[in-house]
Amino acid sequence: MIGGIGERMTTHTLELKNLTKKIKGKTIVDDLSFSVREGEIFGLLGPNGAGKTTTIRMIVGLISITDGDVLINGDNVRGNFEKAMERVGAIVENPQLYDYMTGYKNLMQYARIMPDVTKERIDEVIELVDLKYAIHDKVKTYSLGMRQRLGVAQALLHKPNVLILDEPTNGLDPQGIYDLRNYLRLLANNGTSVVVSSHMLAEMQMMCDRVAIIQNGKLVRIDEILNQDDEADVKVHFQIEGDVSQAKQVLLNLNEELDVTEAGQELIVQTADVRFIAEMNKQLVLAGVLVVGIQRKTKTLEERFLEMTKKGGDLNEVAVPVNE
Amino acid sequence: MKWLSLLTNEWIKIFSRTRTWIFLAIPIVIIIGIAVYDKVTTDVEVNENWKQELTQTVKDDQKALDEAKKNDDNAIYIDSLESAIKQNEYAIANDISPYETTAWQFMKDMAFISSLIGLFVIVVASDIVSNEFAKGTIKMLLIRPYSRWKILLSKFVATLAFAFVMWLVVIVATWLVGGLAYGFGGMDQSYLITADDGQVKERLIVEYVFANIGVEFIELTALVAMSFMISTLFMSNSVAIGVAMFTLFAGNTIVMLLATKDWVIYTLFANMDLSVLIDGQNQLVKDLTLPFSISVLAVYTVIMLAITFTVFQKRDVKA
Repeated sequence: MIGGIGERMTTHTLELKNLTKKIKGKTIVDDLSFSVREGEIFGLLGPNGAGKTTTIRMIVGLISITDGDVLINGDNVRGNFEKAMERVGAIVENPQLYDYMTGYKNLMQYARIMPDVTKERIDEVIELVDLKYAIHDKVKTYSLGMRQRLGVAQALLHKPNVLILDEPTNGLDPQGIYDLRNYLRLLANNGTSVVVSSHMLAEMQMMCDRVAIIQNGKLVRIDEILNQDDEADVKVHFQIEGDVSQAKQVLLNLNEELDVTEAGQELIVQTADVRFIAEMNKQLVLAGVLVVGIQRKTKTLEERFLEMTKKGGDLNEVAVPVNE
Repeated sequence: MKWLSLLTNEWIKIFSRTRTWIFLAIPIVIIIGIAVYDKVTTDVEVNENWKQELTQTVKDDQKALDEAKKNDDNAIYIDSLESAIKQNEYAIANDISPYETTAWQFMKDMAFISSLIGLFVIVVASDIVSNEFAKGTIKMLLIRPYSRWKILLSKFVATLAFAFVMWLVVIVATWLVGGLAYGFGGMDQSYLITADDGQVKERLIVEYVFANIGVEFIELTALVAMSFMISTLFMSNSVAIGVAMFTLFAGNTIVMLLATKDWVIYTLFANMDLSVLIDGQNQLVKDLTLPFSISVLAVYTVIMLAITFTVFQKRDVKA
């Protein structure tokens, strides 16, 4: 767990090691490994049926693990469940609550059985999810959004350092999603590791620090959201006035192996090197090509996700081993 | 230490349901209703002339018995007539009025209420696990830092406690209602039974009442274990309640059909009604005795609990 000398020291609160789930001979989750750092928001992204919920259910002990291990704060869920779950808060799919009790009594159910939840803490959490006005109403009168917020409240009661939310934005209105995002960021800044699953790409891009893309139970790759500019799939669009083919030839003269494509009045070059972009521009201008605009475009997570999950056959090519 | 909080939670959940209070109220309302009805309609004249009344009954029974013997009727019917005649003759000779009602006699008469309690306990026990699966709330419970068996144990103990509390409440209510209606005396009052050898014997009513209270605790434990197992095996609460009720009612019918088979005494349902054994043997299945039936119930209870805990421990929760 602790890296060698010279490596960056990162604390991992949640570690999945070769996690596998088979049901009746069918592999639902296949050799999944990743680690979640302290204080980061980690996304599990994948189409419906990719195995996100199954993975989460294994992490929190709702279903048995066929093979592999889950470590939470260093404790193995398989061997030391009670210790491992002590600092975990979770909502698996929709938060299901006791309809026949008030919101407050629902919270009391969980406050009673978790360590160190004071009355003040309960009030604090109610305030946080903005349910004070309805907390003494029976849950059957709650809207979906209110239930979702009460679900978040129960997950936070005992100040978990690993918070697992399965499709947390389900049923929330835009304001609710915005608030949740801000709140999760606040929690992460205070050291909580947050794991969210979703099939909503844009959502994940806005919410997460890193996203693991999962398809057919396999990890496709892990993306750092903030550092995407450094990555290879940055493209430069040159907007050309005049003969595009001639302009393309100019660039190919510069470097024969350059990946250049024509798209209408645009030339698209795959490169992230700023100096090289300047050089290309210079050559184009010297050759008398009229460059009316240069744009750097990064592929969005959405484009990458769709590209990668489009064909199952391509998966192995793009699969990136888990780093760290 | 924290396990008690799990138990508290289950207890609160049971009593947060409106139906729990209705279940508690129904037997009490029935008891009060019967006492009031009895008070209003009982003919004091007849009670004072109970000996003439009883003599007439004996004559009628004798006629019916002669008739039955001539027609070669069911042996159980003939037996019951014979024992009724003997008991009534004994009552007349020894001056024991069957119409003298006291709080204790009332409690003995109200013993049938226990089957109603059994019914309500089935509903609560069948529901306590399956409902959480049906509603999905089980997920919120199983992701806590508690082993599954601890969570299941808290549910079992809470259900058992509910069954016992309900039974105790009904006993106390019956005693109070009986006492207020007929007076609290009668500790020395006796009733008549026909022993295995055909002799009529006197027995204290108080003895019967306490024996009945005791065996009901044992019956309730077995009943809770059975419903609890069904509740865990079936994840839909309506199916669980349905199956539990059906098993109970069908069980009695099956025992009746199989009464001639030797092994019927080892089935669960032949041993489910312990109160009939207090005065001697079971009319339906002759070989049963109280210690034997209690032992059989104990074995079944342990087996059913073992199945329940094993299944629950291993289940993948997809609710």
